[in-house]
Amino acid sequence: STSHLCSCSKTVSDEKYQDPFQLGRKDLKNLYEDIKKELLVSTAELKEMCDYYFDGKGKAFRPMIVVLMARACNIHHNNSREVQASQRSVAIIAEMIHTASLVHDDVIDDANSRRGKMTVNQIWGERKAVLAGDFILSAASVALARIGNTTIISVLTQVIEDLVRGEFLQLGSKENENERFAHYLEKTFKKTASLIANSCKAVSILGCPDPKVHEIAYQYGKNVGIAFQLIDDVLDFTSCADHLGKPTAADLKLGLATGPVLFACRQFPEMNAMIMRRFSKPGDVERARNYVLQSDGVQQTTYLAQRYCHEASREISKLRPSPEREALIQLTEMVLTRDK
Amino acid sequence: MWGALLRRGGRGAGGLRRLASSGPPWSQVVSEAEKIVGYPTSFMSLRCLLSDELSNIAMQVRKLVGTKHPLLDTARGFVYDSRNNLQMRGLVVLLISKAAGPSTAELSFQHNMVSGIYSSQRSLAEITELIHTAFLVHRGIVNIGELKSCDGPLKDMQFGNKMAVLSGDFLLANACTSLAQLQNTKVVELISSAIGDLVQGIYYENSKSSEENCLTDDIGISTWKEQVYLSHSALLAKSCQAAMELAKHSAEIQDMAFQYGRHMSMSHKLHSDLQPFIKECSSDTLSFSLNSAPVVLHQEFLGREAWIKQIREAQGKGNIMDYKKLREAIKAGKGVTSAIDLCRCHGNRALAALERFPPSEARAALANIVCAVTRFP
Repeated sequence: STSHLCSCSKTVSDEKYQDPFQLGRKDLKNLYEDIKKELLVSTAELKEMCDYYFDGKGKAFRPMIVVLMARACNIHHNNSREVQASQRSVAIIAEMIHTASLVHDDVIDDANSRRGKMTVNQIWGERKAVLAGDFILSAASVALARIGNTTIISVLTQVIEDLVRGEFLQLGSKENENERFAHYLEKTFKKTASLIANSCKAVSILGCPDPKVHEIAYQYGKNVGIAFQLIDDVLDFTSCADHLGKPTAADLKLGLATGPVLFACRQFPEMNAMIMRRFSKPGDVERARNYVLQSDGVQQTTYLAQRYCHEASREISKLRPSPEREALIQLTEMVLTRDK
Repeated sequence: MWGALLRRGGRGAGGLRRLASSGPPWSQVVSEAEKIVGYPTSFMSLRCLLSDELSNIAMQVRKLVGTKHPLLDTARGFVYDSRNNLQMRGLVVLLISKAAGPSTAELSFQHNMVSGIYSSQRSLAEITELIHTAFLVHRGIVNIGELKSCDGPLKDMQFGNKMAVLSGDFLLANACTSLAQLQNTKVVELISSAIGDLVQGIYYENSKSSEENCLTDDIGISTWKEQVYLSHSALLAKSCQAAMELAKHSAEIQDMAFQYGRHMSMSHKLHSDLQPFIKECSSDTLSFSLNSAPVVLHQEFLGREAWIKQIREAQGKGNIMDYKKLREAIKAGKGVTSAIDLCRCHGNRALAALERFPPSEARAALANIVCAVTRFP
């Protein structure tokens, strides 16, 4: 199927979908119900905690990418219009791994709100919240094993390892400015992009035997994932708390220097000291925030995100044209323009 | 933990004698078993403990000195208390692997064996330990909202939680990675489901221990057994089963390995629950869980109301429990003897499961472990 790979870097379809997600929506019907069915727990309270974020109000951004990628790869391979059950399982598992890590992140960061509601740790306490996260992860692993494919298990297990290593990277900070940026991008890959990249790779493996296609899927997911997180880091400075569903400048309060801060620091070197002390002195958070807004840190980070999105659509354009492929290209634009 | 409790049991005489005629002390049981599997089990998961990530944590945990964060004790346990850190689960997985030997279906893989154990089974033993250790760490998370000022500064306690979540997650992630490398979907499913069982078991444990000294739920011994299966038996039972699957042993052998792990760990739990009622100890520090097997059985024999009355009598003024008094009340009833019976019953079932394995020194070592946890003075 190598011959199907287009050499052209970008093919823009005439049709623009009002909503690229429409194509994947059918596959994601009952997604959250099916996730809840995977979470077999005997105690009512633990069940309630595990189900808490699967309330259908999330964006389901990851499952959407995964099923669109599955369709694009299936069409590329043999023009199949079906999503395999195993591919849909990958979408479910991706959302479960993501949610398990959110629950733990909120304990680690002592966060109070997410998606406009109280966090699990806020309601049930940290002890139980950690167990709920562990349970969701174990249920995801069981579902993963049931796909019955050892390669898929390895690919998605890599995500679990990357998530933890990303969290460790977040603990440390680098003195050297260049190292600091590389460190930030590595952390961003591990904490956000690895999940998207590897779940895209997993569905491509299930849909098409060609390793070149697996690499395309992986690269698309990796680039979209990094762009997604860069925009997330921008929104932490530009969006208001009500709109975002979580407090703003949250990263600064956690002592984290994200893209906008690192770019701003090039214009205002006095920020260096603040970064090194992780914005721990009174007034640091407010001052750093003002520096960022005065600088072109937000624009620079957005520009960097654009470059990643461009790379993502360049990769996916190597697949045989399909409405799903166009939706994935359009999705890269939506990543850039989203405001929450 | 396991080591200390088992050793205590090892010194006594008598007890169950079906496969092993004499009872060597616990330390001897373990060191002989280690020789059989050709592996000092204390080195297991050392690779993980020596990683950059955990060294980083170890550095950071020093900040917690002076606080009451449980992570401190867990970490101390790894470093100083190697006697209590005996990695029993891993050892049992290795012993049962060796006892089962190579399967006739897998003769081609025999060159992979060291001391009669496949390398995949050694990995599995390590994974079992990693999972167990991860949950020792995750058990020690504190609820920030319930802290008292004597626990330590709020910031430090939050930091302790952060380290505990991260290091537990790190150990679990390593377990998942090693598990994936075994390239066996059935084993991944079994062990993942064991993690889920363990989480549910710890969840029950937590919801009970939060009300220490208070009156406990009115649970019978069958509920107690279900909960102990989840918190203490499932991981070992399923790991033993998975070890058989890795060597492609029959479904029957897999089931026997599962039964051994399940009943042996049940005996062990009963044995450790019984210690406060059997040992003669200086009573000042005497304390026991009201959810331990002898107490649950005692309550069942006595009836709920009479039990509540006994607790009230032992509580006296100021709500401080007189454990000595309560212990005498329990010892006067049938709870202790029936817990001993139950312990021996599970021990026998563990030994019965072993009978399906061919005689070997590994099988004898597994039987000795059962003897050590079913022996009472």
